[in-house]
Amino acid sequence: MFKQLGIVGTGTMGIGIAQLAVLSKIDVQLYDVNDTLLRRSTVRINANLRKMVNLGKISQEEVQASMERIRTRTSLPDLGNCDFIIESVIEDIRVKKDVFKHLDASTKSTTILASTTSSRSITSIGANTRNPERIIGVHFFNPIETSALVEVVKGYKTNNETIEKIIAFVNLLGKTPIIVKDTPGFIANRVSQPLFGEALRLLGENVADVEQIDHIVKIIGGIPAGPFESMDQIGIDTAFAEAQSLFEQSNGEPRLRPHPILKQMVESGWLGKKTNKGFFNYEETNAK
Amino acid sequence: MKTNKKTTPKVSKVNIKATKTTSRNANLKPTPVRIFITGESPMVEQYAELCAAHGYEAHISWNEKPAQKPEFKSDSIKISNIIPANTSLAIELTNIDLLAKKKNIKRFDETLADTAPILSSSITITATEQSTWILGKHRLVGIAVLPTLIQKPLIEVAPTIYSPKETLEVTKRFFQSIGKEIEIVQDRIGMVLPRMLCRIINEAAFAITEDVASPQDIDTALKLGVNFPLGPIEWAEQIGLKQVYAVLTALHTDLQEERYRVAPLLKQMAITRG
Repeated sequence: MFKQLGIVGTGTMGIGIAQLAVLSKIDVQLYDVNDTLLRRSTVRINANLRKMVNLGKISQEEVQASMERIRTRTSLPDLGNCDFIIESVIEDIRVKKDVFKHLDASTKSTTILASTTSSRSITSIGANTRNPERIIGVHFFNPIETSALVEVVKGYKTNNETIEKIIAFVNLLGKTPIIVKDTPGFIANRVSQPLFGEALRLLGENVADVEQIDHIVKIIGGIPAGPFESMDQIGIDTAFAEAQSLFEQSNGEPRLRPHPILKQMVESGWLGKKTNKGFFNYEETNAK
Repeated sequence: MKTNKKTTPKVSKVNIKATKTTSRNANLKPTPVRIFITGESPMVEQYAELCAAHGYEAHISWNEKPAQKPEFKSDSIKISNIIPANTSLAIELTNIDLLAKKKNIKRFDETLADTAPILSSSITITATEQSTWILGKHRLVGIAVLPTLIQKPLIEVAPTIYSPKETLEVTKRFFQSIGKEIEIVQDRIGMVLPRMLCRIINEAAFAITEDVASPQDIDTALKLGVNFPLGPIEWAEQIGLKQVYAVLTALHTDLQEERYRVAPLLKQMAITRG
């Protein structure tokens, strides 16, 4: 198993993976562009681990041992001794490609380079690296602490040895890996997309309103959150960007075309819970 | 027998609630309300069990008899193609064979008393279109029916443009009497959940064809990644691929949109295995 795991980016996913890794006794080198972001990240991990102590999930000693496994870095070449690096920066293909270009130049040709991308092509991210056989996707799901799934995304040139190592790594973290081909939306987001797409179409066609659709999905479908509630939760701008990305990457597949309602909501500034208004109104009460 | 003269819907007069026999009134031996259910298996059996469990006398028939004769827990379920006298309500559960459906609906309209409503599955043909087959247009109400969805505590109901509020009220009371709430939606092909569910299953079929992941892994991904209670393959098995194919084909025909095109794999499996 990997001795040194490098993590590039300290957003929710980066921090979450770091926490899971140190609890699995893997040493982590955490990279971000400045010390302030890194300090904030280690404080957050420490706080999360202490919460786990309070819940009786881990001991105080494990918190200390876990925190000692984290090293912070502000220079990418400092990750050169890692045998596995996970990139978890923003969902911008140019930024991701740039990170991979730098990692390719500063790591051994055998170092496995992974991306947590949820919507970008692994093959595209890993193109122009020296050894694309070691490029792979590890798509974790939110909330990372409780969501058991990790999609292990096989790029066009990813070799079996890389896949096997990542499967073992994901298992070690206590998650369930599934191998998916590098196609737009991979599998979970792609196959669940009609839930959102059809919800918007049904709304647009006035077949039912948002409350009815969510109610039907929850009660008859048995899905814990309705599509409109979910879009409000993740942010309608994020939902729109993901839908747009899926559509573009599939070269305009009609099944994946985003509904105009999403764009209009974004342009209206109604982005969901974070703006107190989305498909539901959160200003006074939680109910519409 | 119905006539053209009837202008006032009378379905509201139906006392749809079955009188249950309880230990307190066992000696009274009340007559259970009689309903007739026909259509496709296993929806007919599932509805019959549910109605019988709530005190109804369910007379049932099928368009095509199931390969194995079903065994029912209740002796209030009677298999017969004859619509008995005093049938208070009829339920038509056909999504695939629409010619058989039309025949069933017309027979209901010609045989049942004016006061008896017809609840008909309307996910592959709208309830409004079905109501054009009959003279008693006021008495037909659409419902969303697919195998297993019957077990859920909520039913989607679609009134037609002819449905008076009295018919809806009777429909509501009937479903409440079998432990269901209703959600009234517009009368469109696929209604709400069947339309979503069939599209999800179709997308899974496209993904399998493209070898994106194995069928088992697709189910795992949807359950663990996005909290679906069942994976799309499991859902398809429960509902039946012929039913899914029928809903998607009807949506594709109705909406004329590429997004409802049936995945070739799903079509092949539906027509060969079902």
